[in-house]
Amino acid sequence: MEAPRTLIDDLLEEQQRLTAVERFARKHDRHDLPAQARYYRDLIPLEKPGKGEQYAFAVDLDACTGCKACVSACHSLNGLDDEELWRTVGTLHGGHRHEPYLQTITTACHHCVDPACAEGCPVLAYEKDTETGIVRHLDDQCIGCQYCVLKCPYDVPKYSHKRGIVRKCDMCHGRLAAGEAPACVQACPNEAIRIEIVNQADVVAASGNGAHVTPGAFESSYTRPTTKYATSRQMPENARPANDTELRLDHAHWPLIYMLVLTQAAAGAYTASVASGWFAPFLRLPLAVTGTVLLHLGLAVSVLHLGRPLGAWRFFLGLRTSWMSREILGFGLFAGAGTAYAGALWLGWAVARPLAFGTVALAALGIFCSAMIYIDTRRPWWTARATLARFFGAAVILGLHAVAVAAASPVALIAAAVAQLLFAGGQASAEARAIDDEEHPWHRAARTAKVLMPKVRELREIALLLCVALAAVAFMGAPRSCAILSSVAAVGAVLAERLMFFRAAAAPRMPGGVPT
Amino acid sequence: MKFSFDDLTPEIRRFDGPLTRDLVREPGKFGLGQVPARLLPDATTTMVCGFCSTGCGLKIHLRDGEAVNLSAETEYPVNLGMACPKGWEALTPLAAPDRATTPLLRNPATGDLEPVGWDRALEVFCEKFKAVQAEHGPESAAFLSTGQIVTEEMAFLGTLWKFGLGFVHCDSNTRQCMATAHVAYKQSFGFDAPPFTYADFEQSDVLVFIGANPCIAHPIMWQRVLRNPNQPEIIVVDPRKTETAMAATQHYPLRPKSDLTLLYGLANILITSGWINRDYIAAHTTGFREFAEFVTPFTTDRVCAETGVSADDLWHFAETIRDGKRVSFWWTMGVNQSHESTRTAQAIIALALMTGNMGRPGTGANSITGQCNAMGSRLFANVTSLIGGHDAKNPEHRAKVANILGLPEDRIPTQPSMAYDEIVQGIEDGKIKALWVIATNSSHSWVQHGKFNELLKKLDFLVVQDLYTTTETARRADLVLPAAGWGEKEGTLINSERRIGLVKKVKRAPGLALADFHIFQLIADRWGCGPMFARWQSPEAAFGLLKEISRGQPCEITGIRCYAHIDENGGIQWPWPASQADAQPARERRLFEDGQYFTPDGRARFLFEMPRPVAEPTDAEYPLVLLTGRGTSAQWHTGSRTNKSDVLRRLAPEGCYVEINPLDAHRLGIRSGQRVEIRSRRGAIAAAAFVTPTVQPGQIFIPMHYAEMNRLTFPSFDPYSRQPSYKHCAVAVQLMD
Repeated sequence: MEAPRTLIDDLLEEQQRLTAVERFARKHDRHDLPAQARYYRDLIPLEKPGKGEQYAFAVDLDACTGCKACVSACHSLNGLDDEELWRTVGTLHGGHRHEPYLQTITTACHHCVDPACAEGCPVLAYEKDTETGIVRHLDDQCIGCQYCVLKCPYDVPKYSHKRGIVRKCDMCHGRLAAGEAPACVQACPNEAIRIEIVNQADVVAASGNGAHVTPGAFESSYTRPTTKYATSRQMPENARPANDTELRLDHAHWPLIYMLVLTQAAAGAYTASVASGWFAPFLRLPLAVTGTVLLHLGLAVSVLHLGRPLGAWRFFLGLRTSWMSREILGFGLFAGAGTAYAGALWLGWAVARPLAFGTVALAALGIFCSAMIYIDTRRPWWTARATLARFFGAAVILGLHAVAVAAASPVALIAAAVAQLLFAGGQASAEARAIDDEEHPWHRAARTAKVLMPKVRELREIALLLCVALAAVAFMGAPRSCAILSSVAAVGAVLAERLMFFRAAAAPRMPGGVPT
Repeated sequence: MKFSFDDLTPEIRRFDGPLTRDLVREPGKFGLGQVPARLLPDATTTMVCGFCSTGCGLKIHLRDGEAVNLSAETEYPVNLGMACPKGWEALTPLAAPDRATTPLLRNPATGDLEPVGWDRALEVFCEKFKAVQAEHGPESAAFLSTGQIVTEEMAFLGTLWKFGLGFVHCDSNTRQCMATAHVAYKQSFGFDAPPFTYADFEQSDVLVFIGANPCIAHPIMWQRVLRNPNQPEIIVVDPRKTETAMAATQHYPLRPKSDLTLLYGLANILITSGWINRDYIAAHTTGFREFAEFVTPFTTDRVCAETGVSADDLWHFAETIRDGKRVSFWWTMGVNQSHESTRTAQAIIALALMTGNMGRPGTGANSITGQCNAMGSRLFANVTSLIGGHDAKNPEHRAKVANILGLPEDRIPTQPSMAYDEIVQGIEDGKIKALWVIATNSSHSWVQHGKFNELLKKLDFLVVQDLYTTTETARRADLVLPAAGWGEKEGTLINSERRIGLVKKVKRAPGLALADFHIFQLIADRWGCGPMFARWQSPEAAFGLLKEISRGQPCEITGIRCYAHIDENGGIQWPWPASQADAQPARERRLFEDGQYFTPDGRARFLFEMPRPVAEPTDAEYPLVLLTGRGTSAQWHTGSRTNKSDVLRRLAPEGCYVEINPLDAHRLGIRSGQRVEIRSRRGAIAAAAFVTPTVQPGQIFIPMHYAEMNRLTFPSFDPYSRQPSYKHCAVAVQLMD
């Protein structure tokens, strides 16, 4: 028998009945014209940009009072993922006791005249629209390598794990095309954001020496950002982003760490193989095979870094501007030459000799391209000198270890230990200087490494001491065992160094909020 | 990593594809412009936002009757097509994974909250409250409610509790936010009647904000200020350099809690200089002569010494008021949350009265409300006054209410309810044995909550009725009742400018969650007083009762026909009596245009009192003043809803932080980003330091949204409004290891 219906049953049923449509909805009111137009009509240009011109965001800082409606309207009206934001609002503060200063800053993509994201993209997944100047991201073209994330000094492209691609602000290009305002412009209660037409040559001229869009933002000369921030208030000299002193760890990019260390070890092993032709020819083949294995392993691991690896075949599209494309090509050639060299050695073919030199040259080229990927981001922590030293240094140290293991040679171990000491010593003294000097370009990165990565720093130091100790022990006996152990320690040291390279990079970005 | 064979197509550059189509925008119709194609609506409807008292209209994008998205409503007279981030995200917290989806009862054996059916939950609820009532009497239980539910539910709760269940004591979290404005208006104007309409923001030539930071707390009201075409003088009185202070033309960073002295000093200057409107004073006020005499000791020297404001600044302030043709005064929590808040609010009212800045466009002594329905609570919650602004001791009022509600007059107790702090004291004294907490999070928000949370253990029975099982208070409950939220039910909210707006049912409540209205229906039924509440069939039926109750009161709304009438008009401001029912309500209406107040003699009152020292001054051991307030526009009170939105969470600092002046920071060896400990006599908390000159030396600021903050605050109360003084206590700060 069915239980009699109770008031509880009735009310639960009533609760599930949606009533808004039948009672109040405007089903028949199918106006196509956007009602908001009355408020934003004056905030977007009437004409399209002409030759040498483009659309740009213009922000009236006097009217930006930190409500952040722009951020959530952008999110809702563009249907972004839950955690995805294309616009943010940061804070500047400063001044002094009797004249404190506080300014909120709304920011999105600056639709740069020279977009670094587009320049770095290996597959041309960015398109700077010729008519509007809007920097659009082609979502279906993207392979999720995230190099644009490293390249953009404003932290604009956002990687989506769910999709395996990045996405970013497109200035609501479709809305603009239809005469509607972008979501942020529509939603700002204070009319602080508008779209203007700017002359690209003017932007270039204004982004010269030392210019930046706001205090704390990256130098404009790099990408020529088009957003204009205007204020009638006197901005004090000590105005700083609220998160200016914040230390944070960036993404580790583990596949890249492994890829870099493995390819550099491979380069070292190949070079050692070629060099050993002069003093210990029997080492050539084992070292070449070692190099081949490490290199292919490194290249395989690198695929793990791609969000959508099957599209990577388009890498050649970016060769004109992208060091990522060049690296892929460089390593492709390196892998071909190196594998052929090892094969020729195996088979005893004479072609091994020319291949040997080709392999060494391409190894150097590959490492150089790797380094340029990071150097080209212009992050202070990733300067040319330091990055080249790190990458070629790793090749030398690991190559010497390969020799030490293959030849059971204490001399090679000593050489490796000396190289490590020189490298680590130089690095440590530079970091120490940077920590003491607040104006030093490495200051923030060095502090991040020191404060937030103490264990990794310790690991690096312990590994280094082990290598030195094992080099000494190797003279007394068991040189191969020492070499093997020292190799493990050396790889550990390089991995630790590389982890700090990525995580402490203190990526530049627009002013943020109060860090906690 | 995604492997898609799509990526292998021979196209060199793919301008289109499934990923591109994810973000395609298409014309949304309904006046929307382009919207995400995957969220295209097939209908829209407008309803009022359920966060703050601004009361913005939100256009809900519906598909098959259910909300899929929303945007700000262009036509709504409040917000003119704009919304703050909380409004934009209003639907998100409804989908949170920690929604209460079934009643939960604490198992005494395991100590855990375990799911039970409604039948069992109601049985336990009634059993426990009846047992407490039988053993300890009608004063032994209390409820603490909210300004966040619809008026019909507040009214149902208050009448059910007092007239149905037969208890006496109850209060709501509006005590923490608007009690002062309520009492100040009631005493000065004869009724709790905020006089303004938002158009006044646009029509003033001088706007004075006292203890208010609308840029952050009420961004859409600030929007209205920016639409003022008169290039107004904007004066901000606030110890901190807030966003609003930055945007002002004059900022007076007075010493914390010296506002009453400052206002009396201004009054003295205005009076002695003759910069007052004698005609208005004579025609529409009483008590001016006494007030004028009272403020004479507030000389410029004294006021400057006590407030830290310079003589030039003080006079410039007064001259600006003098020169203003339409001066409006606005206050919020900086005034309301004080140990002498009622008199401070009345000092603001006095300035408006004596300069004749009342009843005209762009004028007024205007309290900006906090919660979305604080105004509904103040008028209809049946908590402090008899429902509808009536007096329980007045026999006529009792008869009227009993008659409309269809219950015996003797069910209406004459005894007034204890205030929030007295209820808490009642728990400590063992008088209150059972507590029902509805849609508020006292364990986070109540002053000195460390003690409050200890006291909760003394209760025989704690019921929490909320959307979430995870609020600090719900986690301590013996019984959790799962409530449907804003957007999952119908009813009305009353905003700061007295506008009654509509909440509609556009989402299905999860699981067994029920609208508070339905929960009250079930409790009435199970308690055995169901027939007494037979007229409360639906929220709209309840609204009909409230209309009748309002008849003859200043807040009369008998001219509002039904919910659809409210909907068609973009909300209707009270009063709207039946005599005007045939007319079209004007979009914006203000009170007292005729100079007639709601006092028996029709005159407004000057009410004043000597300023008193703060309850806990700083000393050598606790040398800093702790100021509290709103942190960002993305955070709402204790964050039980706003923390459920990824967007809103990312728009606010994640953890507790403390703003400290560089001078103090230097002295204490503190740098931005370091962890510091903040101690008061009541407890200690940890926070990240943020060194900034926007707080003055000797003061620190901590936002109220972080649960730990109220461990520090000091329980002192305004004697008239019983509102806690959250804005001043003595603390010490030190660097943590």
